[in-house]
Amino acid sequence: MKPQSMSYLTGEGLKNVWVNRMMSLASVGVLIACMLLIGVAVAFSLNVDKSLGTLQEQNVVMVYFEDGREETANLQSIDEIQHMDNIKDAVYIPKEEGLRAQLEQLGTEYEAIFSWLEEENPLPDGAMVTLSDLSEYDATYNALQALPGIKNVNGSRDVAMMVTTVSRIIGLAGFWIILLLMLIALVIIANTIRITIHNRRLEISIMKAVGATNWFIRIPFIVEGMALGVISGVLTTGLLYLVYSFATQSVNKYYPGQLELVPFRSFYLNLFGIFIAIGLFAGVAGSLVSLGKYLKREGSAFGAIH
Amino acid sequence: MAVHCPLIAQEGVIITGSLTQNPLQQPLGELPVIEFRGVYKTYQNGTHALRDVNLKIYKGEFVFVVGASGAGKSTFIKLIVREETPNAGAVSVNGFKSGAMTRRDVPRLRRTMGIVFQDFRLIPGMTVFDNVAFAMRVVGASNFDIRKRVSSALNLVGLGGKARSRPNELSGGEQQRVGLARALVNNPSLIIADEPTGNVDPNMSYEIVELLTEINRRGTTVIMVTHEHQLVRDFNRRVVMIESGSVIADSAAGGVL
Repeated sequence: MKPQSMSYLTGEGLKNVWVNRMMSLASVGVLIACMLLIGVAVAFSLNVDKSLGTLQEQNVVMVYFEDGREETANLQSIDEIQHMDNIKDAVYIPKEEGLRAQLEQLGTEYEAIFSWLEEENPLPDGAMVTLSDLSEYDATYNALQALPGIKNVNGSRDVAMMVTTVSRIIGLAGFWIILLLMLIALVIIANTIRITIHNRRLEISIMKAVGATNWFIRIPFIVEGMALGVISGVLTTGLLYLVYSFATQSVNKYYPGQLELVPFRSFYLNLFGIFIAIGLFAGVAGSLVSLGKYLKREGSAFGAIH
Repeated sequence: MAVHCPLIAQEGVIITGSLTQNPLQQPLGELPVIEFRGVYKTYQNGTHALRDVNLKIYKGEFVFVVGASGAGKSTFIKLIVREETPNAGAVSVNGFKSGAMTRRDVPRLRRTMGIVFQDFRLIPGMTVFDNVAFAMRVVGASNFDIRKRVSSALNLVGLGGKARSRPNELSGGEQQRVGLARALVNNPSLIIADEPTGNVDPNMSYEIVELLTEINRRGTTVIMVTHEHQLVRDFNRRVVMIESGSVIADSAAGGVL
């Protein structure tokens, strides 16, 4: 295609956004609603992920060594644990340190009462092990238990399972919600383009009669669809910024120091990219879907225009 | 090999030149511009639109196609512009053969012809100039060429002074002349006029046919479908009469209207 044709067709496509401004407005409005929902779903999922991540990091497994083992043997075991699958970190806690930590937890008033324990420390040497992926909790737990010199392994299996389940549900629900909203966006754009085609069937019939290729006819519609998608993407990012700022202010006001939302600046560029991608995809796919059937009918060059 | 036809050049000067590539890559010589050989067309609803049509139209001819409504005239035109394909037989137009054409060839075929519609088919939101220019934009002409040739085409149909008018500011006859300018602006070797006088008053009808005659005199083949028998008699050109899907008379073959 010649450059002058390309610039003419692009101009026509952009002009159509304005010519069909009521339809464009309706499409942009519904697209913004869809994308805003997608944005809220993404922002919610990011914040839940962050909270679950914190919970996951706190969910450690305590490994206790058999009594009477040499410290060098324990440190060897720690090294072995660190090289196991699904282990993020393993910190050795000798029994003296363990007791000190316990006494500190009890507070100063009980410290004197239990000070005799320092003479006959009943605690075993242990290690605090952080897992990488809580969904692999059972397998990792069993592997730790099976290591030589290990007396027992203590962990919060219920918390691990809860975190895993919530995380999976949110991931799955987010995926389907976003997919559904994307489909809605696609249908909306396709519908707008279909109406544009109906309004412009006279031009299309003339184009076909004078020998326009199907691509020549398609390009302005694709450009129109893409423009609607990009406009919606830009406006949605702006709107989401306002909504998110309001949410952040409310959280800071009502839960000061307890809840901290992921900052907007840390994800808005990715989200903007997603919005533009959705808009462009919906624009291109919607135009092609709508035009496909119409252009297949060779009859439109001479067919009656009503 | 190229088909020779009149070209619209700067300032309304008509020159002769080559335009259209013959996809057969062989000299057309005495080959007809349009040839129907044993053509049958039956639509999916069972209507037999054309039956065993055999016809040859040569370069530079002016042919009236007449017949009652539903006789098969529109199907005849649709087969020429490749809106329909024959169920049996073969149609050849400007070297494009119905049996050998692909979808990609359809725009190429249509660029070798200009079509004039009964309902004018002008875009209301565009000026007269833009309506004519539209046909050139579709084929990727430069702005420079568009300015030159659109003005020439409008001068040829006597509307040089109305380039900035909108279609609704023109009479029916003037609108049809814009349609004619649009059909001519890409220098086609063949003009298909589908009842071009159907929506204009009788006086204007004569002007339109006179314009078509003038275009034909300069070498362009013209096929005009019409109901108006008086017009056909007055202009005394070849007449093909279609009835119930068959060619029942062809003045070139000794038939009479």
